[in-house]
Amino acid sequence: MNAVPYTHRVAKPNGWWGMIVFVATEATLFGTLIGSYYDLRFKTPEWPPPGVPDPKVLLPLILLAVLVSTSVPVQLASSFARARRVGAARLALLLALALQCGYLALQIHLYVDDLHRFTPQGSAYGSIYFTLVGAHHAHVFVGILLEAWLLLRLLGGVTTYRGVGLQATAVYWHAVNVLAIAVTIVQLSPSL
Amino acid sequence: MTLEVLPPLARRRAQRLGLIWEERPGLLGWLTTVDHKRIGLLYFFTTLVFFGAGGIEALLIRTQLAGPNGTVLSPEAFNQAMTMHGVTMIFLFVIPMTVGAFGNYLLPLMLGARDLAFPRLNALSYWLFLGSGLFLYVGVLLGKAPDCGWFCYAPLNTKEYDPGLNADFYALGLIFNGLSTTAGALNFIVTIFKLRAPGMSFNRMPLFVFAMLAVSLSLIFALPPLTTNLVFLELQRNVGFHFFDVAHGGDALLWQHLFWLFGHPEVYIIILPAMGIATSIIPTFARRKMVAFPLVALAELLVAFIGFGVWGHHMFATGLPVGALIFFAAASMMVVIPSAIQIFAWLFTVNLGRPDFRAPLLFIGGFIALFVIGGLSGIMFAAIPFDQATTDTYFVVAHFHFIIFGAAVFPILGGMYYWFPKVTGRMYHERWAQLSFWVTFLGTLLTFFPMHVVGLLGMTRRVYTYHHGFGWDAYNLSETVGAFVLAAGLILIFANLLWSRFRGVPSGPDPFYGGTLEWATTSPPPPYNFPVIPTVSSPYPNWDRADREEDLRRLEQGVLALEHDHETLATTVRDGYADVVLHMPSESHWPIVVALSLTVVFVMLLTTHFVVAGIFVGLAGLVLGAWHVREPAAE
Repeated sequence: MNAVPYTHRVAKPNGWWGMIVFVATEATLFGTLIGSYYDLRFKTPEWPPPGVPDPKVLLPLILLAVLVSTSVPVQLASSFARARRVGAARLALLLALALQCGYLALQIHLYVDDLHRFTPQGSAYGSIYFTLVGAHHAHVFVGILLEAWLLLRLLGGVTTYRGVGLQATAVYWHAVNVLAIAVTIVQLSPSL
Repeated sequence: MTLEVLPPLARRRAQRLGLIWEERPGLLGWLTTVDHKRIGLLYFFTTLVFFGAGGIEALLIRTQLAGPNGTVLSPEAFNQAMTMHGVTMIFLFVIPMTVGAFGNYLLPLMLGARDLAFPRLNALSYWLFLGSGLFLYVGVLLGKAPDCGWFCYAPLNTKEYDPGLNADFYALGLIFNGLSTTAGALNFIVTIFKLRAPGMSFNRMPLFVFAMLAVSLSLIFALPPLTTNLVFLELQRNVGFHFFDVAHGGDALLWQHLFWLFGHPEVYIIILPAMGIATSIIPTFARRKMVAFPLVALAELLVAFIGFGVWGHHMFATGLPVGALIFFAAASMMVVIPSAIQIFAWLFTVNLGRPDFRAPLLFIGGFIALFVIGGLSGIMFAAIPFDQATTDTYFVVAHFHFIIFGAAVFPILGGMYYWFPKVTGRMYHERWAQLSFWVTFLGTLLTFFPMHVVGLLGMTRRVYTYHHGFGWDAYNLSETVGAFVLAAGLILIFANLLWSRFRGVPSGPDPFYGGTLEWATTSPPPPYNFPVIPTVSSPYPNWDRADREEDLRRLEQGVLALEHDHETLATTVRDGYADVVLHMPSESHWPIVVALSLTVVFVMLLTTHFVVAGIFVGLAGLVLGAWHVREPAAE
């Protein structure tokens, strides 16, 4: 019996399954963070507390749209790699990376801006707000690192290992983007 | 299938496999190993050391409480001993023993695979586990061990009430430990989904593997609430955030919700592998297949699932709304159904078979008896008024020790005897093994049964001493005597195994005529597990003689021997059709390097050197980037 090349196989590879399980545990992590947010909210008479401004709405929503749209080039990169089109895969990955880096840079700017207006040490609202949003940014950062690492490896061409890596990274990004929608809605909810 | 009896062509293939799969000898080999059997043994010996430490803590507690006004331990030392006893037994003994040692060693063998799906990740989970265990015990050596009980309730865990490093050791140590366990659970799930022998569709999977799947899924969804909680705690303690203090809008009950959202599934995480071990031992010694096989498999998964809906029954005394109380009480009653399915299936299997009560089956008998007692007191707690009356008394302590020691540890001990010949190639001493069972069983009853009574007489948990005149003295003395009897029983077991390791009668590959695939290979198994990937047509493949003879023929012909490279076979998820030959990674020093960097990270977080911690996170990340510099297929 010979090995089937990964471009032809039907069942999902181990790396894909590993990532599915990993994002399941990460999604649970965000679930408990969001649950904690509402637990604290419903035990506090004023949310956000007096002296803390309501969260901004428009800019985070625009940024969210940009981030979610990057699911497309990431998925394309994975498909291109499967079809052995290295150049196209690199290009798609580069596009996603550029958009995501821009997203993260702007978000960090907003985060620091928020820190100037209220602090996590000031109230439970600030604590859970900065923890939840910070956890999300950390996940975006890890995704960017994964892509940068894959881009580097793709310089040497596509192999089964790299193809599976791209497939798993695409799963990671889809999950992070879905979580981004949840986190952003929770973050905005006091202003809605 | 020993090498000598194989025909020449088959023998040559097996020898070639030996050369391909053999790892570096000596200490360096153990440090860089990715062989699931060696990692399983590393887990086994490490957890045994922690078991010893947790046992000494238990004996200290019992000695202090042997009579009124004990002076063996100071109140501070008692709190630390009590907390570390709980933390050690749960996080450093039962879980790593069942999942780490038994799971690691047996899972690929039962599935007919040559390793776990991610061998290097497996090595990493071991080294992270070792790091987290040592981290917690450094706290003990410094006299700063966690002292807030294993569930470390808010607000007592905050800086105002616990100003030392104690609670920081707890929070960081358990986050660290959770990383290791999550990695292990992920690895098991993918292995169970992808690396089963061809023909092993889901319905032909051994019940032990079903139990391990249920445990791994539970861990994946149960650990995040704990991690979130512990991160909140550290942020509150060291950075000044507010999650649990009411003065700044926090909520002390948030801690309890998150803790028990983890903590109750955790109870089933502890007990499920025991059920899996029972379903391995019973068919072998009753000499028949398990009764109601599909129901037992579903019951194992159902126990894990229901475990996520019952956390509130730990909080009946905290003033939850009545609606919530009733929901949690009803959900808790539901656990009876899958538990009873399993108990009756075990009893009927023994009853309908021709049981041979050797030591492993004796331990399972003890397990069933103790599980029923612990289960009956568990049902009482589902009745809200009864729970509110006995909350925080020794009645609770009695209940969960019957479950955790009686029901979880007895099968572990039975499993040690059962798989000892597989791991060492030698038999344990049967007579002494049976004696050790009776000593352990009597010790267990003597230690934990009187706790019911003192609990109902009003003795509260976690008290470091008590006065004469409450009518508790005789019961407490009996518990202490029982604890030492229990310790003697355990020493008998380990002495037996140690002696048999060197002096035991050679066992051959399959001394008990077991039904699952681990018995189809030599004892101890070779580094490649099976010279040819076995094919499976029933849940008890080792009892299908024709299939095993077919394996031999295929080995001679070289079909599925995969003897050209470091390879194993992946199959499709549901049906177990052969899918693709996988190139497996070989031994590596990266796992231990990552674990070392992360150990430094946690020490730095403990001492609030956040920048240095960040640098070492980066270092670990870089190493992970180099994880497969040479890709497995190119090796």
